[in-house]
Amino acid sequence: MITIQNLTKIFRTEELETSALSGINLQINEGDFLSIMGPSGCGKSTLLNIIGLLDSASDGSYTLSNQEMIGLKEKGRSSVRKENIGFIFQNFNLIDELSVYDNIELPLIYNNVKASERKLKVEAIAEKLNITHRLKHYPQQLSGGQQQRVAVARALINDPKIILADEPTGNLDSKNGNEVMELLTDLHAKGATILMVTHSDYDASFSQRTILMKDGVVFSEKMNQRNVDVFKI
Amino acid sequence: MLHNWIKIFIYHLKQNKLFSFLNVLGLSIGIAGLIFALLYWNDEHSYDAWNPEKENVYQVLVDMGEGQAWPYVPVTFDPFLKDDSNIEMMMHCLNWYESPLFKYNGKKIIIEKLFNTQNNFFEFFPFEFLQGNPKTALQNENSIVLNQKTAIQFFGKANPVGKQIQFEDKFLKVTGVYKIPGNSTIAPDAVVNNMKIRMNVDKDNWGSFNNGWFIKLKDPSKRDELSKKLNSIYFQNKIVKEAKEEEISTTEYELRYGHFNFILEPLSVSRLHTKGQGSPEGKGNYQFLLIMSGLSLLILILSIFNYVNLATANAIRRAKEVGVRKIVGASKLDIIKQFLFETIIIANISILLALAIVEFALPYYNDFLDKALVIYESQFYLQILFIFIITVTFAGVFPAIYVSNFETLKVLKGNFGRNKSGVWLRNGMLILQFAIASFFIIGSYIVFEQVRYLSNKNLGFSGDQVLEIFYYKSEAIRNSQNAEQIIFNNYILVKNEISKIKGVKQATTGAFKFGGGNDASSGFSYNGNNIQAQNLAIDFGFLEMMEIKMKEGRYFNPEIASDTIDAMMINESTLKLMNEKNSIGKTVDWNGNKFKIIGVVKNFSAYSPQGKVPPMVFFHFKTVPWLIGNIQHLYMKIDAENTAQTLADIESFWIKNVDSDYPFQYDFVDKNYLRTYKTYVKQKNLFALLNVIVILIALFGLFALASYSIERRMKEIAIRKTLGAETNVLLTALSKQYIVFCIIGFLIAVFPAYYSLNKWLENFAYRIDISIYPFIIGFVALLFLTLSVVLSRAYFATKVDVLKYLKYE
Repeated sequence: MITIQNLTKIFRTEELETSALSGINLQINEGDFLSIMGPSGCGKSTLLNIIGLLDSASDGSYTLSNQEMIGLKEKGRSSVRKENIGFIFQNFNLIDELSVYDNIELPLIYNNVKASERKLKVEAIAEKLNITHRLKHYPQQLSGGQQQRVAVARALINDPKIILADEPTGNLDSKNGNEVMELLTDLHAKGATILMVTHSDYDASFSQRTILMKDGVVFSEKMNQRNVDVFKI
Repeated sequence: MLHNWIKIFIYHLKQNKLFSFLNVLGLSIGIAGLIFALLYWNDEHSYDAWNPEKENVYQVLVDMGEGQAWPYVPVTFDPFLKDDSNIEMMMHCLNWYESPLFKYNGKKIIIEKLFNTQNNFFEFFPFEFLQGNPKTALQNENSIVLNQKTAIQFFGKANPVGKQIQFEDKFLKVTGVYKIPGNSTIAPDAVVNNMKIRMNVDKDNWGSFNNGWFIKLKDPSKRDELSKKLNSIYFQNKIVKEAKEEEISTTEYELRYGHFNFILEPLSVSRLHTKGQGSPEGKGNYQFLLIMSGLSLLILILSIFNYVNLATANAIRRAKEVGVRKIVGASKLDIIKQFLFETIIIANISILLALAIVEFALPYYNDFLDKALVIYESQFYLQILFIFIITVTFAGVFPAIYVSNFETLKVLKGNFGRNKSGVWLRNGMLILQFAIASFFIIGSYIVFEQVRYLSNKNLGFSGDQVLEIFYYKSEAIRNSQNAEQIIFNNYILVKNEISKIKGVKQATTGAFKFGGGNDASSGFSYNGNNIQAQNLAIDFGFLEMMEIKMKEGRYFNPEIASDTIDAMMINESTLKLMNEKNSIGKTVDWNGNKFKIIGVVKNFSAYSPQGKVPPMVFFHFKTVPWLIGNIQHLYMKIDAENTAQTLADIESFWIKNVDSDYPFQYDFVDKNYLRTYKTYVKQKNLFALLNVIVILIALFGLFALASYSIERRMKEIAIRKTLGAETNVLLTALSKQYIVFCIIGFLIAVFPAYYSLNKWLENFAYRIDISIYPFIIGFVALLFLTLSVVLSRAYFATKVDVLKYLKYE
């Protein structure tokens, strides 16, 4: 579904030229659960942002569903993004001024979904993620784990082709972190495609495949053995 | 989508109650100011706008080179213009209102604004006729046409047409009732056609500038030709003839007696741009209108700046929201729409609040302008819509675009708080706000100084305890053969009797009005200088009673017989123009007679404190009897004790012995005189009020902006504190930039303030010079206010818990 070839990203300031990504090749298929690891500054977040169409590459090719993304204008990127990509962030990035319901509903609004349909969808996903009783609350009234679940709900509401998760457990304690990872594994089991950036080996072990990055290149790649039987939980 | 936007909007409104309220209030005050200016503007520009003849009707004015043209001209031109193909019709009129007393069915009613004109008046001012026929209504000299309101005064609900109302010993028949469709430069309560006698008196007199004259043209583009023609007719019939009689050349004649230039002024400009003294309804104060409009625009700009400043500063707090919205699929346009939407709501609330403010303050404003403005008018609603669009465009579009350009990535990474973009613009606007505030502080101080100067100015006379009583002369007397003699004898009789009333120290009169004017002026020539002087006829003791001092010579003296034959006095202005060192005893040739100067009167500001004292010549009534007709008031000095009793006695005497019909009208000279510069006192008050508003708005803007920018620098403050910075060092660091802005803003304002206030001061013959003090005071005030706002914010900032800001991020 995603093919990345020879992708480079160079940051330029007046005096300095830093190469964040130098010739990345990557293939993500439908239904994959992929994690990217690496030390700070290795370029993993930059790669995620480029895949998420929040940032642009300097050179190379990135196709999403056989469509070339490099060179797309802001407007085009925005429309591809809202139809195909769901985001989960370390710091949740919920809008504090809106209720849980309104936060989850937001992507549907921007995708011009009808109000009656929106209500059904939000309720369905809330049920699935076990946050139905929290719909009327505001983000600050929830625990970190609950907030991240709301963020996941928002990322999923639009049935995106791929979910991008940037250190989803970074701000959570281990119990809540576990919950979120199990949620992602569950989603993967039901067919979702997930790309996750993480620092944690433990979190990475939930995924099928781990890519290790260093200094802007893919250093190594390994398949994970672990299989979690989600239906037992 | 809308629902979602409204939720966020209301959330922010609730979170920042005070800021939101002040922001809305600031904007609505700005809008209210503009609405006030608009109402005034609309009203002034509506004069004669309804009149379909406004571009074809011209008033003849005569420009005597004195700066202001005279709206009264001779009636002698008519026979020479009979065959002029461009003249559709002409109309002579009295050109001011009379206020005669009418009787009907035992009721006595004064028609305040009776207009005396010719039978074709309604061709020039086609008022809407409710009854009667405008073409024939004024056919007879005993016809009268009434304004609807006047008709109701007389007849209530009864049909007025055909009724007879009594004026002195004549009966006038009501032939029509009209309604005036809008503001009109001539807006009488009643119209009569009674010009014949006046015109007969002057029909061969080319020197009688007594009557108004309107001409309706077929082709207005050729008005200059007619103007030239009038000048040449006048030249042939007056200048050439009289120059021949005096055996001098026409050039010499004009040099001595002045050059008269007849101009045609269209009705459409007669309210705001007239060269003349104004119509019976007065003239609009165009300069003041511009000042009002300009100031209100400045205030609106100020409040829009505030709004933009706050919106962009606040936007930083909303950066995360914007970032998230963009991530989940909002396009730039969506963001722009959302923020515009918020501005639209704010603008709507502000306009509603502004309308409420206007509605509430309108009575005071009307009182201030002496008008009866109302909010309801279709044109006005269009303008409101226009204000709305302007406000939304300027206040809304910029912040919306600014916000929509936030880079999603930076925002979500969380280091957006230190974003510098837009800072230059906010600071620029802050500087301009400082400039506007400085302008107002400096300006209002100068206005205050000038008005204080006027009110403390030595006027050269004292109106203290001097009563003026309106002396009504009936038409029968005015039109009689020996009118002057009758009026003067009556006056002497009344004066002698009134002098006997207890409390009356002295009674006398002069044929002019303090704080009003004087309708007689003649040119004379001395040492080859042409002097157009005001003719002031007075009775013995008048100048003494008014405490008007002599520079040289003596007052008129009843003991000296020649004082009522050929004596005259002049004032200092005249003396200066005469260019004569030793004037006492010199002879002046005035209107064909020789007069001897017996005294030079010190200049006194008879008409208004702001105008220059014109050249004046003084005669006793008996010396120049035709000036007796100009007696309008009796003046008397009364005791300060028992004023009320004395007044009551005078009134009962007056009603019993002088005039039982016409109501007794009096005023105190000093009180009446105050009204001549009432406008400027009002302008001072207005400026003071605007000053307070502007400073409040600007300070609020500064307060909010300082709060936001200090909030952005909290981390810096925390780090400095951990490194050991002391409070006063921090305070300096935080307030330095605002002081710089304050100074720059002040410097920007200096020149415009100096220039425009100097322009304003040109209205005054007696004026202050702009000193450095208003600027020093303005600067110190501004700096003080700025520092107190910024330092208070900064002080709180230095007291915060360091950990809170260092832990975060």
